[in-house]
Amino acid sequence: MALLRFASLRLLRGLLTLWFAVSVTFFLVRLLPGDPALAIASPTMGEDQREQILADFGLDRPLAVQYVAYLGELLQGNLGVSFRQSIPVADVLLERLPWTLILTGSALVVTLLIGLPLGVLAATHRGGALDRFIQVGGVVGQSLFVPTVGIALLYTFGLWLGWFPIGGAIDDDVYGLEAYASMLRHLVLPCLSLVVLQIGAYVLTLRTNLIDALGEEYCTVARAKGAPERRVVWKHALRNALLPTTTLVGLQLGFLVGGAVLTETIFAYPGVGRAIYESVGQLDFPVLQGAFVLLAAAVVVANLLTDLAYGLLDPRVRAA
Amino acid sequence: MSGLSEELTAVAAEPTPASRTWRAFRRNPLGLVAAGLLVLLVLVALAAPLIADYPRGYGEDVLVGPSAAHWFGTDHLGRDIFAQVVWGTRTSMAVGLGASALAIVVGVAVGVGGAYFKRLDGVLGLFVDVMLSLPVLPLMILVAALAGPSVSTLVVVIAVFSWPEVARVVRSQALPIVTLSYVDAAHVMGAPNRWVLVRHVLPAVSPVIAVSVVVTASRAVLSEAGLAFLGLGDPSSWSWGTILYNAQRSGALSSSWWTAFFPSLAILLLVVAATLVALAYNDARNPRTRQDGTR
Repeated sequence: MALLRFASLRLLRGLLTLWFAVSVTFFLVRLLPGDPALAIASPTMGEDQREQILADFGLDRPLAVQYVAYLGELLQGNLGVSFRQSIPVADVLLERLPWTLILTGSALVVTLLIGLPLGVLAATHRGGALDRFIQVGGVVGQSLFVPTVGIALLYTFGLWLGWFPIGGAIDDDVYGLEAYASMLRHLVLPCLSLVVLQIGAYVLTLRTNLIDALGEEYCTVARAKGAPERRVVWKHALRNALLPTTTLVGLQLGFLVGGAVLTETIFAYPGVGRAIYESVGQLDFPVLQGAFVLLAAAVVVANLLTDLAYGLLDPRVRAA
Repeated sequence: MSGLSEELTAVAAEPTPASRTWRAFRRNPLGLVAAGLLVLLVLVALAAPLIADYPRGYGEDVLVGPSAAHWFGTDHLGRDIFAQVVWGTRTSMAVGLGASALAIVVGVAVGVGGAYFKRLDGVLGLFVDVMLSLPVLPLMILVAALAGPSVSTLVVVIAVFSWPEVARVVRSQALPIVTLSYVDAAHVMGAPNRWVLVRHVLPAVSPVIAVSVVVTASRAVLSEAGLAFLGLGDPSSWSWGTILYNAQRSGALSSSWWTAFFPSLAILLLVVAATLVALAYNDARNPRTRQDGTR
């Protein structure tokens, strides 16, 4: 019962976040100086032509009416119409979204797969040379500029060594198993850029939490019972150290999505981020707005899932 | 009694916490080098006109590598990249410091306000949580594109989406302090809220604020570079992100490594130096990590 209450509270917060995101973008677009009407209606148009276009896009109605209409349309999955391409924004973006999900999802999984053992290594060799090295690496990794990492990887492994393709997400004329292999080869470099970027946060957080956990009494008890250190670390301490690390996933998601926007730009990866880059040049506000709403929704859903996982993992949350 | 007076004189002879922190900081070579680097970058930003001519127009030598005439090489229009990086330091620093200052003011107000006025805490905390969970870069892109790219727009946009992180850190630091007995004592004496906040709470959280200034500024530099890299930089001034944007847009990136390397290096140096200074300051301030025998 407590878990149900916890879950519904989280769901409520997710919905609130989403409503906030949607409302902020709506009012920003209408109130900021960059008038969307000017972006579609060029000054050389006649007055009636201009009004016709504004009416077509529903921009001539009062703000409150537009807001309610916008929310209603959103609930039906309608994100408006692209100014430039005159096709629904939802169509433009939904075809891009899977690529962004593949990129960020794989980056998260690889980060955890490499980051957890590194964090454990640093914590168990606390104060040693290896620990220092991992810590410095973590700090430097977090301070890197995403495009810098992407460009460096693209240069080394794409242009110089020629191991991986330098752009795109899949080759044109491949089918079946070969298509998967092609996808994987295109995924390696952008995914690696994101891993470099965020792994430091995970390693450093896990290191601190694991060191704290290893100092707890239950670990002393386990050692006193004669449990080998390996068992103390992996069975006793790590389980508890992982809980706060789960929270980090939620905190890092927004950051990861931002990194994906820049990475996709560099590798011409056809995700939502690349769509953002293309729309910036064309001042296609509905696409920019839709992309943000879509990414915010993805983050909210992912956050909800990590919260629920946390609730299932930690009995204290269920009891509270 | 004599023991007590000995103790008193011992206390009087103790150096102030600030001077002790400074002494410990000076003993950390990495922190000192990083601080020196930051000072150097600030000097470069201030003295940009003395170091290099403002890069403009077209040059004859298109895409030549680093040489004695062009230390960092030239870009696809023959402009000197060294000059671009030097002038870019100015924009990046201005945006970083400006956005950081603005974000700190708002973040500290919300963080301390939330911790001190319990009735506001729920609403402010929820608001900060919501802001923190949103993907900020796409939102910054939308706002910057709408408002039109300029240095002042960038400062405001980056600050508006950076303060929640400051508020979160400051609030968590201020929470235990508002429950301390000297704060209660001040209330009992009838001190007004403003006086307690300025005299007791703010000084207690000031070390966190100092670290936040540096960290927020370096993040703001990264945000500015990111926006400029996507084509949302101020078109009338150079920035490190703009140089990378030009390299990417013109396709110079794949043939001429120097177009991307030097601006990237500048960003890396600034952010790593800022991070190291923040870490060294934290270590020097913390008696447990200070390693000078005094607690």
